[in-house]
Amino acid sequence: MTAPLPDELPLRATSAASDQPWHRLHPLSPLVRAGRQLMSLVVLLAGLLVANHHRVGGDLVTDLVIIAIALAGGFVSWLVTRWQIADGVLRVDTGLIRRDSRRFPLSQIQAVDVVQTGLARVLGLAELRLRMAGGDAARGGRLACLRRSDAEKLRRDLLALSVAGTAAPAVAAVAAVPAREARRAGPAVVLPERLLFRVNAARLPVAILLSRTGAVAVAVAAAAGLTIAVSGRTSTIAPFLPFVLGAIVNVWRQLNGQYGTTVAAAPDGLRLRSGLIQTTAETIRPGRIQAVRLAEPLIWRALGWCRLEVDVAGARQRREDQGEGQRLRAVIPVGSRAEASQLLGELVGSQPLLPRLAPPFATRWKAPLTYHFLGWNRDDRYVVASRGRVCRQTTWVPLDKVQSIRWVQGPLQRRLGLATVHLDVAGKRVSAKIEDRSDAEAREILAALPDLARAARSAAA
Amino acid sequence: MSDPGDHPVPLSTEPADARPDDAMISWRLPSPLLLRVRRIEVAVVTVPLAIAGGVAGAVVSTALAAGIAVAVVVAGALGERFLARRVAAWGYAERQDDLMVRRGVLIRHQSVIPYGRMQFIDVTAGPLERSQGLATLRMHTAAAASDARIPGLEQGVAAALRDQLTALGEAQAAGL
Repeated sequence: MTAPLPDELPLRATSAASDQPWHRLHPLSPLVRAGRQLMSLVVLLAGLLVANHHRVGGDLVTDLVIIAIALAGGFVSWLVTRWQIADGVLRVDTGLIRRDSRRFPLSQIQAVDVVQTGLARVLGLAELRLRMAGGDAARGGRLACLRRSDAEKLRRDLLALSVAGTAAPAVAAVAAVPAREARRAGPAVVLPERLLFRVNAARLPVAILLSRTGAVAVAVAAAAGLTIAVSGRTSTIAPFLPFVLGAIVNVWRQLNGQYGTTVAAAPDGLRLRSGLIQTTAETIRPGRIQAVRLAEPLIWRALGWCRLEVDVAGARQRREDQGEGQRLRAVIPVGSRAEASQLLGELVGSQPLLPRLAPPFATRWKAPLTYHFLGWNRDDRYVVASRGRVCRQTTWVPLDKVQSIRWVQGPLQRRLGLATVHLDVAGKRVSAKIEDRSDAEAREILAALPDLARAARSAAA
Repeated sequence: MSDPGDHPVPLSTEPADARPDDAMISWRLPSPLLLRVRRIEVAVVTVPLAIAGGVAGAVVSTALAAGIAVAVVVAGALGERFLARRVAAWGYAERQDDLMVRRGVLIRHQSVIPYGRMQFIDVTAGPLERSQGLATLRMHTAAAASDARIPGLEQGVAAALRDQLTALGEAQAAGL
């Protein structure tokens, strides 16, 4: 991410940062933030109560003390946390002993998420997360928690401010309304949205079971079941238990995360909503999509299903899911080809570029199985490349988002006169791989693409 | 844009069918001292390994001890042969709008990094490199996959290149 020139940064240079009011989070937020740990403590407590109900006293007191300490800590952290929007910068100050003051330049926002855990939904609260580039989830801004309506208003204001910060005069009028006034302006002005996709609720569980996660879960369950059947005693599955639990948790996490996914085009960006218990509403700013990938796993392909993912430069912050950082965000967790191509049309232009250019004949020797799936193409805005046999992946990369171009040639490729060109984009090791082209063509790509990318960048700017 | 005059390769902005010629790109190579650094690195690993192997072998027989020591030294020497080619494979070229870096013998890489995409540039020097007055330049873009480096630059060259790249990057900076 490039730092903007200093004279662009302050949105309203006249207003001093100190003029802007400071806000606090919602008083119930410690409860929500501790929610997960609290839940497991309660479960543990119940377990203990059942397990040794004859000598409850000591344990109960200990656990209550732990809960009380956790809540007290949460309360203190709430007490010392405050936030402010001034000069196009979101400031979050926190910390009792080690003060921590963070500034998030709004013009650098990649996406804004409104996340509600189950408990937060019951209490009507929501957490606001800012995604900045840089990939490190800890660097993003978090406001946990606000009242839900406040969070949504704030998201709208932040997005409007962020667009204003990067020079879009039409929206500047919206931005001129200070966040606080907008928050008081009664019922939120609902921005018009155009629904682009809604996941089929019946198809999703089936699709998850037919995916790798599901296959692992089924295999583990089958192994456990078999063990019970063979030994005839339920106690023999004890060693399997962690695996079974892990598999169930994985399936649940996917279902919870992808249930009810809807994609809508709003004026301030692409809005993705999903979630069963924990709901997330993400808004990806226009022009912040770094890559789009269409994945067609083997079994899904037989059913005519596919998955569409986008890459955004900021990592989603989900502490409970470490793998998330490496995975892309599924805009279509599962959908038909028709749905995918319709949404693709929205994301990469009405006529999505297809990877029509087939690899040279020599590629058959190097990749006999994937040969038929290899291809690439380009126009003046996008490059598309496809690869993969078991899971066919087609990746679209906007030329103006290309960070670097790499030409790679392994020993076998050299013998066959082939080479691969990678187009890297910001984020999680995503690159469009133009695989196994003839040497001459690869050189040509390497020579031509930097210029094309530069042209696309200056056209976009 | 800074003055492109000192760039050896005037790159045409013609798209697609402009065929690059490797001969057209004038590669700059790392300092010859890099080979020495790499040799020392190999020696630092090989010699103690040979001694340790020899001592361990000596428990059984002198012939085995000699055999192990010789084998390790020969392996090191073979590695050294390979080193020379690897060192020679490094190269970089400053073009008008981007930096090209090439490396690798077995698996060859050639990266093109637009100046405007560089997020930050590191100059690092380990103790061995420092003893020879060398440094390694690392270029980072917003993409995790694309960080390129140039080892074995003379420290002055590395610092100058860093400053130049930073200036070019600032001039051409592009948002994400």
